[in-house]
Amino acid sequence: MFSRFGAFLRSSIGKKSLMAVTGLLLILFLIAHVVGNLTLYADSDGAKFNAYAAQLEALGPVKLLAELGLVLLFGVHIALGMRAILENREARPSRYKDLAPKGNRTFASMTMSITGLVVLVFLVIHIIDFRMADFSEQGLAALVVERLSSPVGGAIYFVSMAFLGVHLWHAFQSAIQTLGFRHPSYAPAILVIGRVLAVAIAVLFASFPVLLLATGGQWPWN
Amino acid sequence: MSGGHDNHGGLNLTLHVWRQKNREAEGHFETYSLHGISEHCSFLEMLDQLNEQLLREGREPVAFDHDCREGICGSCSLVINGQAHGPDRETATCQLHMRRFHDGETIYIEPFRAKAFPIVRDLVCDRSAFDRIIARGGFVSVNTGSPQDANAIPIPKENADLAMDAAACIGCGACVAACPNAAAMLFVGAKISHLSLLPQGQPERRRRVLAMVEQMDKEGFGNCGNIYECEAACPKGISVENIARLNKEYLGASLTARPEKESAGGF
Repeated sequence: MFSRFGAFLRSSIGKKSLMAVTGLLLILFLIAHVVGNLTLYADSDGAKFNAYAAQLEALGPVKLLAELGLVLLFGVHIALGMRAILENREARPSRYKDLAPKGNRTFASMTMSITGLVVLVFLVIHIIDFRMADFSEQGLAALVVERLSSPVGGAIYFVSMAFLGVHLWHAFQSAIQTLGFRHPSYAPAILVIGRVLAVAIAVLFASFPVLLLATGGQWPWN
Repeated sequence: MSGGHDNHGGLNLTLHVWRQKNREAEGHFETYSLHGISEHCSFLEMLDQLNEQLLREGREPVAFDHDCREGICGSCSLVINGQAHGPDRETATCQLHMRRFHDGETIYIEPFRAKAFPIVRDLVCDRSAFDRIIARGGFVSVNTGSPQDANAIPIPKENADLAMDAAACIGCGACVAACPNAAAMLFVGAKISHLSLLPQGQPERRRRVLAMVEQMDKEGFGNCGNIYECEAACPKGISVENIARLNKEYLGASLTARPEKESAGGF
């Protein structure tokens, strides 16, 4: 049984399936993350957001477990993605003069590796910014405002969310297809759901740095 | 001179054609001028005229694959101006007409490019990787004998239609050529769908998909990124629904296939 499972994981379809499953779980994480971020809008001093952060901290070992799970999800998704980039490059050693579109490609589908790599760089910046930082004195909300209200910080977060949105534009329906589900009755809806999710997640994440930039670092709803 | 239907003098074209002596040699584009090409001739007939011109000049003609010239054998290939089988949908290169091009146009002609399809010479690539995939399971094993009644095995109309659509694959390899990752999932998906949808394909269903995917990976094709350019390039309009079915069949077979038993002795 294990040799069969090993063969599955080594196969192109097995690796793609694992990428699809980790990708879909990461979309669930992003939805939870962005809903949590919305507590920033719940009041004018960040108290609700800080309380939400404190609740997560209070989970103790459960939070640690969740973080380990995220490391695993991101790790597998990124490692398989990198491997696919290399394998696909190898699969066409002599390049075309210019492989012109035949009609089905989209900007998002053609740039998955690039948008994925940009989101990876952002992930490192984001973890250093907030997971590694000590915000015990000022509170997490104040740290968010500090990081995002500088032009460079705000631009990094805004541009990264644009890349994330483009990545997700293709991701959802691609994952469903990889897991073997495609039906003429459902395919259009799956495409739309994925794209709505992509735009919603990217816009909601990006809204905070945009508002802070617009107001020069003030709580924008004061 | 103007292009289009009024052009009785024919089309004047500049061709950039990939020339490569053999598998090992470095290839390069060579430029040729062709004059007075009828807009009614096919793309391959245009290449025939180029070769006649080259022979008259005492030069080596361009090697390219072709056979039936009516879109059913899957022999012709070519990437024309960056598009596998040229600009039209559901059209093989042999069915492409020169009326799709205009007078004075420059056309780049390349072979299908993939590690699994090594270039043999000029525009000819070796697509026997597909044959090796078929040899691993793209068939049904039946005892021969007198044919049974055609309606002895009931098949739902919907399945018959889907299987027929998949069986339309002519194995030309345009899906691989058009795929940014040089993946062969549409070809393998069509072959798997064709047999897994029919009762005759059931006995070897799981073994088939496991073996064919294993061979596909061994041949060095890329990974499917669900970009779906394959479907757009397929001269037979094979749907990417077949790729989803391949994924499902492979997932299912991986989870449920029992280990192959040793052929003889013991249990």
